[in-house]
Amino acid sequence: MDTPMLDRELKKGSAELLVLSLVEARSRHGYEISKLIESLSQGTLRFHVGSLYPLLYRLEARGWIQGKWVEKAGQRRRRYYRLTAQGRKVLAKQRQGWQQFAEAIRRITGIEYV
Amino acid sequence: MSDWKEIVEERLAGLKLDTPRQAAIVDELAQHIEDRYEELRAGGTSEEEARRLALEGLDASLIRELYRARHAAVYEPPRHARGFMRYSLYDLRMAVRTAKSKPAFSLMVIGMLALGIAGNAAIFSLFNGLFLKALPFYESERLVDLDETAPKWNLHYVGVSNPDLYEWRKNNRTFEGMAFFDTNAFNLSGLAGTAQRIRGAQVTRDLLDVLKLKPFWGRNFLPDEDKPKAPKVVLLGYDLWQRLFHGDRAVLGHTIILSEQAYTVVGVLPKEAVFPDQVDLWVPLAADPNDHSGWYLNGIGRLKPGVTYEQAAADLLRVHRPGAPGTNKVNEITSPILTPLRDRYLGDYRTVSRILLVAVAVVLLIACVNIAALMLVRSTARGREIAIRTAIGASRVRILGQLLMENALLAAVGGMVGVLVGGVFLRAMVSWLPDNTPRWISFSLDARFVIFCVLITGAAALLFGLVPAIQASGGNSGNALHESGTRTSLSRGRRRTLSALVVCEIGLALMLLISAGLLLQAFHKVLHADPGFRPENVISFRVDLPRATYPKPEKILPFFQNLLRQVAALPGVQTVGAASAPPLGGHWGNFYVGDEDRPLGPNDKTPVVLQVVATPGYFDAIGMTRLAGRPFDERDGLSKDAPVIIVNESFAKMHWPGKSALGKRVRYNDPKSTWMQVVGVYRDEKHYGLDQEVRPSIFQPHLQIPFQSMSIVLRSSGDPRNLVEPARQILQRLDADLPMYDVRTMTERLERSLWARRAYSWLFGAFALVALVLAAAGIYGVISYAVTQRTREIGIRMALGATPGEVLTGVLRTGMVLVAIGAALGLAATLLAARLLETLLFGVSPRDPLIYAAVILGVACVGLLANFVPARRAAAVDPMRALRVE
Repeated sequence: MDTPMLDRELKKGSAELLVLSLVEARSRHGYEISKLIESLSQGTLRFHVGSLYPLLYRLEARGWIQGKWVEKAGQRRRRYYRLTAQGRKVLAKQRQGWQQFAEAIRRITGIEYV
Repeated sequence: MSDWKEIVEERLAGLKLDTPRQAAIVDELAQHIEDRYEELRAGGTSEEEARRLALEGLDASLIRELYRARHAAVYEPPRHARGFMRYSLYDLRMAVRTAKSKPAFSLMVIGMLALGIAGNAAIFSLFNGLFLKALPFYESERLVDLDETAPKWNLHYVGVSNPDLYEWRKNNRTFEGMAFFDTNAFNLSGLAGTAQRIRGAQVTRDLLDVLKLKPFWGRNFLPDEDKPKAPKVVLLGYDLWQRLFHGDRAVLGHTIILSEQAYTVVGVLPKEAVFPDQVDLWVPLAADPNDHSGWYLNGIGRLKPGVTYEQAAADLLRVHRPGAPGTNKVNEITSPILTPLRDRYLGDYRTVSRILLVAVAVVLLIACVNIAALMLVRSTARGREIAIRTAIGASRVRILGQLLMENALLAAVGGMVGVLVGGVFLRAMVSWLPDNTPRWISFSLDARFVIFCVLITGAAALLFGLVPAIQASGGNSGNALHESGTRTSLSRGRRRTLSALVVCEIGLALMLLISAGLLLQAFHKVLHADPGFRPENVISFRVDLPRATYPKPEKILPFFQNLLRQVAALPGVQTVGAASAPPLGGHWGNFYVGDEDRPLGPNDKTPVVLQVVATPGYFDAIGMTRLAGRPFDERDGLSKDAPVIIVNESFAKMHWPGKSALGKRVRYNDPKSTWMQVVGVYRDEKHYGLDQEVRPSIFQPHLQIPFQSMSIVLRSSGDPRNLVEPARQILQRLDADLPMYDVRTMTERLERSLWARRAYSWLFGAFALVALVLAAAGIYGVISYAVTQRTREIGIRMALGATPGEVLTGVLRTGMVLVAIGAALGLAATLLAARLLETLLFGVSPRDPLIYAAVILGVACVGLLANFVPARRAAAVDPMRALRVE
């Protein structure tokens, strides 16, 4: 991904999928999500405040994830996001879509190098 | 940490969220930033660097993103705000953003719309001012023009006679009041400065009452002042009062000299007294009820409330037929005629402005069709966006609403720009209007204009937005998602709609072009019509001798002879003459009988004949062509016993068809009058304007009929305008109180007489060209879009062996089929509609084959060109690359 343009577009297209995937297993707070994306992608993908939270709020507004303030002993108040039932369906669909897309890309790019 | 919170709060200040929500966001963001900061510090980053990195992304774009996040995603506003207004506001914000995100597209739409609306706004306000706006008089709908008509004399309006005035006024039962007037010009002298020519009206004293006006200062005429031989009094017009007396109220009782007679000022007219049009003062008509000599008065009546035109006309006819004692015979020929005030003075413009209104409406229609096509194309591109919205639950109504809002926004901006530009157009057009447009017509903006603009903009928005919107929202969302995921070409239905739009555009443009072609052809024909005289290097001015100082022929004739002789001696003057009515100089009618005429039956028409009084030099000065006989000479008219006349071709044909008119005799329509002998026949001159009909006319020597008001006609060897000053000096020396007025070259007079035809022909041409350009842009856009969409298909074809030439012709064929269908439909419509133009065509056939052929050819060429560019691009497609794209 050398071109910043392409990078941005890809990130935009995949961001929803990433976030939904990360909160699938258990609820997480915003900073945690950003850290996970960064570490799991080995630094290729990074979200700062300016892009992460709008995305979270958007997903929340659509009803795909739900945020909740949680106070744990010895920790400060944090907002945890969990996947909703609707979000789960969307995630499944998007996953499938991405897989098909990735497969298609792989086939085409693969053929080209044959 | 409160430190971070403050920073976040500060940066989000622009968001304007409700407070609890804002506090929550601030909390969460601050928390995140703090976490990051701590971690960075723990990792050994410097305080400053950690701070910078932590705050990364906390900028203006965040606000924007947060904003979007709240509103865009599901596109359902918060639950607590589900009112219609709330929706509309969201829609509006969305629309603004969408418009901004595609500036080129938005500007194109706005530009096309503005162009269409500007034309409409300008033409409509002309039309509005001329025909819709109430006249500036109290209850003006009750005012009617009164006149007499005499079809047997071949005259629609003859004027009202004195006896009829008194009869009508006395015995009618349907009028609240009626007033009569004649406009006249006076030589105003006796004040400081040189003599000036002033237009005035001789009015009956009830005119102010009919108009429901009161004198601004002083009083109206007294009943006794409106009688023959009454003391001379005058009401000054407001402007004249300001000009001459600088608004001095002590003007009452003052004396002014009008055509050498003293008039006492009794009052000042209010500013609103703009009828009769373009007069500076009123004097009493003082009509003699026993004077049967002629029909010359204009009338205006105020109907009683609730009385219709028909009732009033019947009432007047009842009064009119028996006539005043002694008028019986003639009152069978003339009948009263009532005309709405506006029609009487503006009727000429009605057809023209209607036709122009249709033309601009068509331009706007084409613009809308174009925009609709653009929208359709774009909505295809937006298909995925809309499909996603539908998929995640936005209702069809919501999406339709939003698309309509986008259109409404573009339409509103286009409308506003259009109205502004229209204002400029209007000012330009008003400046072309001739001097004789009544002053009581104003073209200022009014509520009707505003309503028109709002309506037309709304209609445009609906027109160009609805089809694409329905198409966009009507589709099955699953399909659309699927479709946009796999291929990006146009659906069949949409392509058909686009094609239909292109066909419409071509048809409409063709219609406008042919109409414009016909009008311009007619204008060309008029311009090159033979005027029957040679207008080049001719100038004329008018001199009017007041009856008071020049009461008798013994004073009038020597004055004019003197004047003509001295003017003829000026260097540069070739010939000089004088006439009572040179071409475009007005009409003076009379009735004549020829010596071989068969006796008139009771139903025969006696057409009115143009009577011109002329001096011997006139015919050469104006450049008329002699067909037979001779011009007048210095002896003609000297003897009362052997009067002579000259006639025009039409007159000769009317009375002595197929024979020579020379030596034949003519007399007035009065058995006691002397026979006059025809000594010359001249070619018809277009007396009433190049595009007007010629009437039979007769010329009589000035010596025979010593008119006091004559136009002096000079033919010069160079620029005739150089002669004006020397001539004025001669006139000054002869009589310092005589103004020289109506000074214009003949070419200028001809030009001015054609202003309306020129203006509407060119306007129409301009509209037609705009239409053609818009239509060409439409074809180009649609075809090139189709080509882009079909790149893959074309690639496959070429891969399978199609040559570029085949691809080129293939695309061209598709496009040209549309052009052909459009042209055929347009042609059919034009053949039906062109008849409406017929009255304006000056003999050019509304089915003139040459123009039809030229326009069809032209449209075909433009269509071909608009198709060729995208077709060539299609032919240049590289099959490998085309296939790889998808």
